[in-house]
Amino acid sequence: MSKNIDVLIIGAGPAGVAAGIGARREGAENVVVLERDWDLGGILQQCIHPGFGLRTFKEELTGPEYMHRFIKIAHEEGVEFRTNTMVFQIDRETNTVWTMNKERGIEALNPKAIVLTMGCRERPLGAIRIPGGRPAGIYTAGTAQRFVNMEGYMPGKRAVILGSGDIGLIMARRMIWEGAEVEGVYEVMSWPGGLRRNIAQCLDDYGIPFHLKTTVTKIHGQDRLEGVTVAQVDDHMTPIKGTERYVECDTLLLAIGLIPENELSRMAGIDIHPVTGGPVVNDLLQTTNPAVFAAGNVVIVYDLVDNVSDEGLIAGASAAKFAAGKISAGTRRIPVKGGENVRLYSPQFVTGETDATIFMRVTHPIEQACRVFAEPGLYSQRLRYARPGEMNEVKIKAEQIRNLPDLKEIVIDIQPV
Amino acid sequence: MTERKFICVSCPLGCGLTVTLDDAGEVTKVEGNTCPRGASYARSEVKDPRRVFASTVRVNGGKLPVCPIRSKTPAPRGKLSEIARAVAELNVEAPVKIGQVLIHNVCGTDVDIVASRDLAAV
Repeated sequence: MSKNIDVLIIGAGPAGVAAGIGARREGAENVVVLERDWDLGGILQQCIHPGFGLRTFKEELTGPEYMHRFIKIAHEEGVEFRTNTMVFQIDRETNTVWTMNKERGIEALNPKAIVLTMGCRERPLGAIRIPGGRPAGIYTAGTAQRFVNMEGYMPGKRAVILGSGDIGLIMARRMIWEGAEVEGVYEVMSWPGGLRRNIAQCLDDYGIPFHLKTTVTKIHGQDRLEGVTVAQVDDHMTPIKGTERYVECDTLLLAIGLIPENELSRMAGIDIHPVTGGPVVNDLLQTTNPAVFAAGNVVIVYDLVDNVSDEGLIAGASAAKFAAGKISAGTRRIPVKGGENVRLYSPQFVTGETDATIFMRVTHPIEQACRVFAEPGLYSQRLRYARPGEMNEVKIKAEQIRNLPDLKEIVIDIQPV
Repeated sequence: MTERKFICVSCPLGCGLTVTLDDAGEVTKVEGNTCPRGASYARSEVKDPRRVFASTVRVNGGKLPVCPIRSKTPAPRGKLSEIARAVAELNVEAPVKIGQVLIHNVCGTDVDIVASRDLAAV
């Protein structure tokens, strides 16, 4: 029989492993992390390039190296991992978590608290309607990354990349290093989706052309991709007649955005935010189901894994507190509202029980000095610029909230100064 | 006197750097950086540009057919394609330990190629 689980964590990527550590450090006895893959580490297993953990470890690690360090800490802290274990259902009334594993069969687990750390998945081709056939040779950038970096297959010899999310930029360089050609990267928006340093070190270093306000308008080929038509778009993202160009390629990689993976969260009956696509949470990372917590890219898609790990630690610690009966039902719930230049943010509620970091993205680039702030007078920080591809933060101390017993609402925004 | 502009790749901030060089090619000024890492990156970038190289090698008898590797330290940028070819020719036996040196002094660069994960044998 299964022993009583205090904190059950779903997904052993960076958020889940950190949540395990956070829960054990907060005193939870039995902390179990479930993972559907045979190995721990989540998507970072395939992110073999350096660039992870500069904030946490003061050096730039590859994805596997970053996870290696966290997994080692988790083992030392006494976190239990169960791999090859798929969660296929969460009952919303009882919070029973149903799992499947080849050796253990089907099990129903009834933990005192749950942490959701399922991460995100990539927007697929179906999310953007491109006319033409559906031949072989079209992959999301992350799928191609797994093929190349973990399974030893090359997706093709001449690639076009649609979208400029970081994984697409990283894969452009990766394809070059594996001997393929990359014809170009096409981004429908007028600004890049990924970090500027990835434009520099993944595209500029190799002379890969980067086309803004340009998209793929047609897919050519029956069995195998033969080429794509690209065209510039106007301010309404409508292709401009006369700018079409045929590009020969056998591979199209899509880096057109990430979506939090929340099928289980919906089953658990928790509220999903319409803009972030992740659970509505407070600063304890508690969802609208009090026993369920969430952290990492399942909540809001972050730029940096350091943030994901930090949030994992918080969610794990909060779940341990809940399991021990230390989070009362009467906790304050002060809503956070985004101002006119804020596209999305998380958490959406502040309790005053803990120091809070609110992560946010602007709707459009503000290429001048600006100010990120939280009203009434809770936070203000000057910025040299604000860009949708780079998250901004607002930090609010628990004490500030405690000193405002009548506070009804917090408004966050970024405004030019 | 010449000026060069490029993006710092030392951290996710991605500062836009402007480096001023005198006629002898010596750096006289670095602007646009937020931290000292940016200044040292700027100097290195104009004199001896380097990047960490990361790829995979074939593994015999491992739980995965390939194992990720990296250059332990940044390697000369101009040597990356030569290094990529040297790494592509490598076959290693499982198990592989993280940090294990797979190629010592790759292509005479004084840089080691090391495994970047543990990979068990099947």
